[in-house]
Amino acid sequence: MMTKPICILGAIGVALMCADLGGQTPASVATAGFDLSGYWTSPLVEDALERGAGPELADYGGFPINEAARLFALSYDASRVTLRHHQCDGYVAPYSVRSIGNARAWEERDSHTQRLIAIHWYNQTFEGHRVIWMDGRPHPPAYAPHTWMGFSTGRFVGNALEVQTSHLKQGWLRRNGLPESDQATVVEFFVRHGDHLTHTSVINDPVYLIEPEVRTTDFFRQPADHQNWLFNCDDGEQILGRAPDSVPNYRFGANPFVKEFGDKYRLPAAAYLGGPETAYPEFESRIASLTDADARAKLRPTTVDVTSRAIDSEPHDGEIHVWALRDNVYLLLGDGGNIVVQTGDEGALVVDSGSGRLADKVVAAIRRLSEKPIQFIANTNFRADHTGGNAVLRAAGSDPSVSGTFFALQFADAGVGATISAHQNVQTRMVASGRPAAGNPSDTFLEERRRTFHNNDAIEMFWEPQAVTDGDSIVHFRRADVIVTGDVFTTTRYPVIDLQSGGSVEGEIRALNDILNRTVYRHQEEGGTIVVPGHGYVCDEHEVVEYRDMVVIVRDRVRTMINSGATLEQVKAARVTADYDPRYGAASGPWTTSMFVEAVYRDLSKRK
Amino acid sequence: MVRRLGWVAIVCACSATVVAQRGGPPPPPRTQAPFDIMGYWVSLVNEDWRYRITMPPKGDFAGVPLNGAGRQAAAAWDPAKDEASGDACKAYGAGGVMRMPGRLHITWTTDDMLAIETDAGMQTRTIAFRGAGGEAGTWQGVSVGAWDRGDTAMSRGGFFPGAAVRGGSLRVVTTKMRAGYLRKNGVPYSSDAVMTEYFDRFDVPGGDSLLVISTEIVDPTYLMTPLWTSTHFKKQSDASGWNPRSCSSR
Repeated sequence: MMTKPICILGAIGVALMCADLGGQTPASVATAGFDLSGYWTSPLVEDALERGAGPELADYGGFPINEAARLFALSYDASRVTLRHHQCDGYVAPYSVRSIGNARAWEERDSHTQRLIAIHWYNQTFEGHRVIWMDGRPHPPAYAPHTWMGFSTGRFVGNALEVQTSHLKQGWLRRNGLPESDQATVVEFFVRHGDHLTHTSVINDPVYLIEPEVRTTDFFRQPADHQNWLFNCDDGEQILGRAPDSVPNYRFGANPFVKEFGDKYRLPAAAYLGGPETAYPEFESRIASLTDADARAKLRPTTVDVTSRAIDSEPHDGEIHVWALRDNVYLLLGDGGNIVVQTGDEGALVVDSGSGRLADKVVAAIRRLSEKPIQFIANTNFRADHTGGNAVLRAAGSDPSVSGTFFALQFADAGVGATISAHQNVQTRMVASGRPAAGNPSDTFLEERRRTFHNNDAIEMFWEPQAVTDGDSIVHFRRADVIVTGDVFTTTRYPVIDLQSGGSVEGEIRALNDILNRTVYRHQEEGGTIVVPGHGYVCDEHEVVEYRDMVVIVRDRVRTMINSGATLEQVKAARVTADYDPRYGAASGPWTTSMFVEAVYRDLSKRK
Repeated sequence: MVRRLGWVAIVCACSATVVAQRGGPPPPPRTQAPFDIMGYWVSLVNEDWRYRITMPPKGDFAGVPLNGAGRQAAAAWDPAKDEASGDACKAYGAGGVMRMPGRLHITWTTDDMLAIETDAGMQTRTIAFRGAGGEAGTWQGVSVGAWDRGDTAMSRGGFFPGAAVRGGSLRVVTTKMRAGYLRKNGVPYSSDAVMTEYFDRFDVPGGDSLLVISTEIVDPTYLMTPLWTSTHFKKQSDASGWNPRSCSSR
């Protein structure tokens, strides 16, 4: 009989569990959890005015920000929230915790095993619903979408719930323009003392912070459901007749409100413009000696070039990675520009074909998604990283819609291979550059739209004249509501405005606005239409809006300097992209910050 | 039958453990510490920044739930008068000093006594785990400490208490403080105030160690509701930056 020894072993095990081990629990050891469930309210004691009525303009004191963050904030004009696409901007998770209103937490458990799957934390303000996964799942890959709440995983450590969050959208450190980038990650600790909950967040942002930003927020437990959990927002026209390329902003050094806070509280401006030093005790004794010159030095960029600190969302492992977008539409990454595949009974429709280096693997990946051949390939532009795989993908497919037609009487190879569609200028430029004919588009269009109904979806190609080239198109899968933007929009770099290939900064802004004219968010400027950039991670309209704002603001700065008679060298020296360089900048490689600024300058100069 | 025997064994094992724990003197608090609190900690002043790192104007007490008497006292603040009466340290009492920009030096003075020194105002608070630390009527008052492991009398008596939360906080209750200021600009607390603090240490993966002090001040004289704040410090590897300085009213 084995039963008794098993019981004894069990008893020993339980005795060990029962024993008070005492002493220190190493911080890294995961432990049993505690109950976070219930209704919680944060008393508005700390930062009461900021969290309630709103922060003072230009008050960044105590934030360990870098120059780019300060310049971004000083360039920010609060009128920007009157723009349709900013009216319903949500709060990112760490800022949401600081918001006014109530919160609610609850557990999600597996109904069979009763294991804890997730802890949900819902903030009334902007209806911020966080899911903290407790089941050990990994964070998604770098090319996955970013959201206001990000992707969070948690574990109990000591007496705290430790949460790690990635994949956040760009949002606010403070809602007076102080930015938190989409590259920020957060570590949080929730610890409960009876009915008092303390939340600690540690934000790391390689783009905008020099040191981690630490915040602590108190909550007290509410015994009753106050029942008002919604935060409705619907955008509308707030200022009629405003030009679509207008984004309220201040030029460097021209923010008229910089001194307002200081005048009100008798502080030198250099004291509250932020920086890691302003959070340390030593700063207290330095304030009195700060001068106007110290402040002025913080209002304009220095001359140091800054390169992007963003995570590379490309896998670079020689493999093709597949990400399901919606319905039967997929993203394929790993071979240059992003590739999108729509599958169905009528055969695959592919948008762009990558660089061609891994074309065979692209074909194999598509075959895993669909047994049907590739019927159509749509090119968003002529560049090699978007069309390099055309020939191989074409050869791997066929177009039965052609082989049974009159074409077949005249062309023996009609329908052999997929049909490649693009704007005529794509074909023209590919032919002119001597690219192999097999990869060139054969089905071209000249005016604004090419359309087809394929695999039960209405698919439209819209020509975006003079955007980054003269042949750019965006592709909209209307039923799946996925827009593929090509290089009109990326999350990895400044737009590659190729003047020699017919690109222009004004056309680029028009193209970005054209994307925004077709998107619909699901909730609080998030979700809804999926936007696939030419390079980078899966987006929605919020990322396009931020990118559009950036291009407009840089254009405005360059245009102002041109109107003042500035030379190209003077514009470059002014570092008109300083607030965006840690996100998009490059000092070397095929598209540098200098090249972008030069393209904007030369384009605007010739139109002056 | 077998199943029942198993349960009996489990209950016996638990009981034996509890009995074993009851024998002998309790271990000293220092050895029971759920985390290492010792060392130098520097405050990161990024909340209530204007109120803490600069001198806020008289009567500016946003966020503090002062009652009428509290508002009256705040409006009557006169730093010159404080200096003249030897009360320059009113903002450096236990109810205010932890919010001051500065550094803490925390040490075990005995196995059941902690000392928290602040370089701001050169104050020392003694926290006793047995008996009471400090003196009544002083800026730092009388502090009693205990390890708070998040369990309750009910959970200790519950089934499978071994699954209770590990780790824990330092809970400190401070009373009998000399009346002082919550903020440097004369926002008051009275000698009747009771301050309960929870000290937690968080080790950020790949980053700093933080000391977070969650504080509740109950003051029937000057506050309408309890005042809650949480104040954070970063661990330093040494005493660099330690800068003892006298109390200042201005």
